Amino acid sequence: MAEREFSVYMSGVGGQGLVLLSNVIGAACASAGIRALTGEQHGLSQRSGSINVHMRIGERIRSPLIPIGGADALLALEALEALRYVEYLRPGGIVLMNSRVQHPVSETAKHMKDKQARYFSADEVRARLSRVTDKISVIDALTLAKEAGSTLTENIIMLGALSTVEAFPVPVDALKRSVAENVPKKAVDVNLKAFELGRSKAREQLCHVVKCRD
Amino acid sequence: MGAADVVREGPARAFMLCNEAIVRGAIEADVKVVSAYPGSPTTEVLDTLSAVAPGFDYRMEISANEKVALETCAGASMAGLRTITSMKSVGLNVASDAFYSLSYTGIKGGMVLVVADDPQAHSSQTEQDGRTFGPSAYVPMLEPSNPAEAKRMVKAAFEISERYGVPVLLRTTTRVNHQSGIVDLGKLERKPFAKVRWDHPPGRFVTVADSARTFKLAMLERTTRLEAEFDGSDLNLVEDTGSDTGIVTSGAGYNYSVDACRELGIEPSMLKLGTTYPLPKKLIGDFLKKLKTVIIVEELSPYLELHVTAIAKDANPSVRVVGKWTGHFSEAFEYNTNIVVEGIAKALGTKLPVDYKAVMDKAKELKEGLADRWPTFCPGCPHRASLHALRQALKGVKHVVATDIGCYSMSFLEPINYGDTLLCMGACTGVAAGLQYAVEEKVVAIVGDSTFYHAGLPGLVNAIHHGDDFTLLILDNEVTAMTGQQPNPGSDANAGGRAAKPMVIENVLRGFGLEDITIVDPYDVKNAVGPMKDALARKGPNVIISRRACALHADRLKRKRGEKISSNDVSKEACKKPYTCIREFYCPALSIDDDDRKSVISKELCDKCDVCAKLCPFGSIKEREGG
Repeated sequence: MAEREFSVYMSGVGGQGLVLLSNVIGAACASAGIRALTGEQHGLSQRSGSINVHMRIGERIRSPLIPIGGADALLALEALEALRYVEYLRPGGIVLMNSRVQHPVSETAKHMKDKQARYFSADEVRARLSRVTDKISVIDALTLAKEAGSTLTENIIMLGALSTVEAFPVPVDALKRSVAENVPKKAVDVNLKAFELGRSKAREQLCHVVKCRD
Repeated sequence: MGAADVVREGPARAFMLCNEAIVRGAIEADVKVVSAYPGSPTTEVLDTLSAVAPGFDYRMEISANEKVALETCAGASMAGLRTITSMKSVGLNVASDAFYSLSYTGIKGGMVLVVADDPQAHSSQTEQDGRTFGPSAYVPMLEPSNPAEAKRMVKAAFEISERYGVPVLLRTTTRVNHQSGIVDLGKLERKPFAKVRWDHPPGRFVTVADSARTFKLAMLERTTRLEAEFDGSDLNLVEDTGSDTGIVTSGAGYNYSVDACRELGIEPSMLKLGTTYPLPKKLIGDFLKKLKTVIIVEELSPYLELHVTAIAKDANPSVRVVGKWTGHFSEAFEYNTNIVVEGIAKALGTKLPVDYKAVMDKAKELKEGLADRWPTFCPGCPHRASLHALRQALKGVKHVVATDIGCYSMSFLEPINYGDTLLCMGACTGVAAGLQYAVEEKVVAIVGDSTFYHAGLPGLVNAIHHGDDFTLLILDNEVTAMTGQQPNPGSDANAGGRAAKPMVIENVLRGFGLEDITIVDPYDVKNAVGPMKDALARKGPNVIISRRACALHADRLKRKRGEKISSNDVSKEACKKPYTCIREFYCPALSIDDDDRKSVISKELCDKCDVCAKLCPFGSIKEREGG
C-alpha cells in the first residue's frame, strides 16, 4: 500500500472548498499510515480566481508540486478549471470534472461587446480533453450536492467519485471517517450523503473506462 | 488538520499545513509572547496562533505592522521570554530597521523570526530573496523543506537563539509554507505564564557609538562559533552515494531535486543545507572534495552558488559548478520538478524523461480561447462599489491613481484595469505627494484601512503638513481583508477574539488637523458619487472614507447569527441589456445569457449587496423568489 504513488491535480474557483477537500484526503492518509503531501494556494488567488491544489500520495515523493505530465488524475470542481491545467495530466490519465461552469468576468466583459460570442462550455472542455485521454467523467456536482442537502458539498461529491478509482491508494473507510471528522459537526450527514452520491455517479459514468474498487 | 491538531496532546500523527506545524513547534517550545502582521505566505502562522490562543497562556498581539511585531517580540525576549513573529520578506523590509539593531544588542529569551519568500510573486509585489537578511545582519538562518522539518527547526531555533543570545531566522518559501504533510506531534509540556525580573545592567540593550562597536565585535565572534556548530549540525543532511556528481540545495529546492533525480533515474550525492547562514563552509568543502560536478539547486538569487564557488576555490578547484551563472537554471520564478529535471539533464547531457515542451505546446493548443480567471473582487465586495463610484465621480476629470496593497490592488487586473502606481504597503500617500508636484492631472491615492494604519499614516502626516494637493480615498472594511479578514487597529477585537480599542479613522484624521473629510457608504452607490465628486474638486489634501464591512467578514457574522444570505435575480421582461450591472463592475455572480444576451445572476454566487440592483436604470434586478 505505502509504495503505491498517486498524484491528483485538483482545481477550481476560489471559495469552492478545495483546501478542505485536500485536507480531508490528507487526514485520511495520516490515519491510514500513508505518506501524503500537498502544494496549496492561499491568499490573493482565492478571490474568485483560478485555484489549484497539488495532492501527492507516496512514500518517496518530496515535491509538493506535481510535475508537467505527472498527474494520475485531474479533479476539477469547475469545468473550465479542468482544461486550464491539462498540461499536468499524464497522457491517458483520469479526469473527474464538475459540469458546472462559472463564467470568468474577463469572458463576460468580451460578451458585452460581441453579440456573437458564446461562453466556453463544459462540453467544449470535454471535447478538448478527450484529445489527451478517454478516461473522463463529467459530473453534475451541483445537482447532486442539492440532493445531498447542501450546495456547499460539491467538493465531497467529487471526492466520492475519486474514491471509486482503484489506483487511488486511500481506503474508502478512512476517507469517510475523515469527512466526518473534518467538516462542521452539523454538516456531517449531508457530506457523507454527498460522498455516497459521488460514488454512485462515478460507478455509472467512470467505471466502464477506469478500473474501480468497491 | 487545522487548529484541532495544533492543540492535540502528543505523541500523535497529523496532516498539517507547514504554517500550522511552525505554530505547533513554537507551542511545544513553550513560546510566551507572539506578535505578527498578516502577509501571505505566512498568514496562517498568525491565524493559527490566534485561533488556539484561548487554550494557552501566551500573550499575543496582531500588530499594526511587522516592525511593531518584531519590536514587541524583541522587548519580551530581551526580558527573557520566548517569542515568535512571522512575516513575508517584504514585511521584514518594514521591520528591518529594528532587525539589524537587534542582531547587535541580542536577546535573552529565545526569539524566532519566520520570514517567507514568494518566488513567482504569487501574492507579493516582488520575488525578493530574503536570504540576504541573514548574512547582512549576521543573524543565523535555518531553512526547512517540509512541515515536519519546520516544526523540528522551530524548536532547534529557540535553542540556538538562547545559546547565542541572538534571534534566529526561519526562512521559508511559498511552497514550504503552503505545503501540508504528515507531522509527528510531541508532548505539550508548558510552564504557566509568569513575568520575569529585569536582570540586566543599565545600557545592556543600547546600541550606539561605542556600544555598537563593542556589539559588532561580539557579533562577529558569535558568528564564528555558530559556523563551527553548523559544520557538525544534524540540521544539515549529507547523502553520500559515492557518485562524482553532487547536488547542493536547501528548502524547496531539495524537494524538487529528490524527485528530479528519481525522474532521471540518477543517484548523485546530495548536500541539503538546513543552516543557510552562517554557511557550514567546512561541511560544504568536504562534500565538494569527492566531486567532479556539483549542481546548485536554489530558487531566486545565486546565494548558495556564490558561496559554493568561493569554497570550491580552496576545497576542490577543479570541480565544475553548475547553476544560474552557467545558464542551467534561472533566477526568475519558482521551480518545479520538471524545471530541475531540465537543468540537471542539460548539465549531465542526459535525455529528458518527458518532452515537457511538447506537452506544453499541446496544452496551449487545447486551451485556445479559454478566458483567464484572475482573482477579482468577491460578490458583495464594497470595494467594487467604491471604485465604481470613484470612477463615476471622476468622469471627465483627467487623473492619476496611486494605489496600494490590499484587495483593491486587484483593480489593475483584467477586466477592470484601473490604477497607475503600486509599490508597497502605504506607498500611495508618498507617491501621491510626488505626483502632485509633477503632473497636470488630478492626483488620487487609494488605501485600505489596514494598510493605512500599517504604513500609510506617516505619508498622510507628511501630506497634511506640506499641504500636498491630492485626495486620499480610504476603503474602510473593518478588517485586513486580503489575508483572511484578520482584525486591525480599527477592529473591536484582536488575537484570540480578545477585546481591543477600535481606532476611528476620522478621529485620527481630525487629530492630525485635517478637516476636509467626506464619508460615504459604497452600498448606497448612487448617493456616494455626488459627495465624492465634490471632495475630488476641492484642493487637497483631503480624505474620502468609503465605509462598509468586507463581504466575507459580514457574511461570516450573518451566518453566526443564523441569518440567511439571499440572492437577486434579473427580470427577463424588464432587462433592456444596458449592462450597467456589468460594465466597470464585473461581479463574478453576473454573466450574460448566450441566447437572449440578457444579464444573468448566479444564485449560488450572489451576495445580495443590491449594488447592481440600484444601478440598473430599468429596475430589472430584484430579490430572487424563495431567496
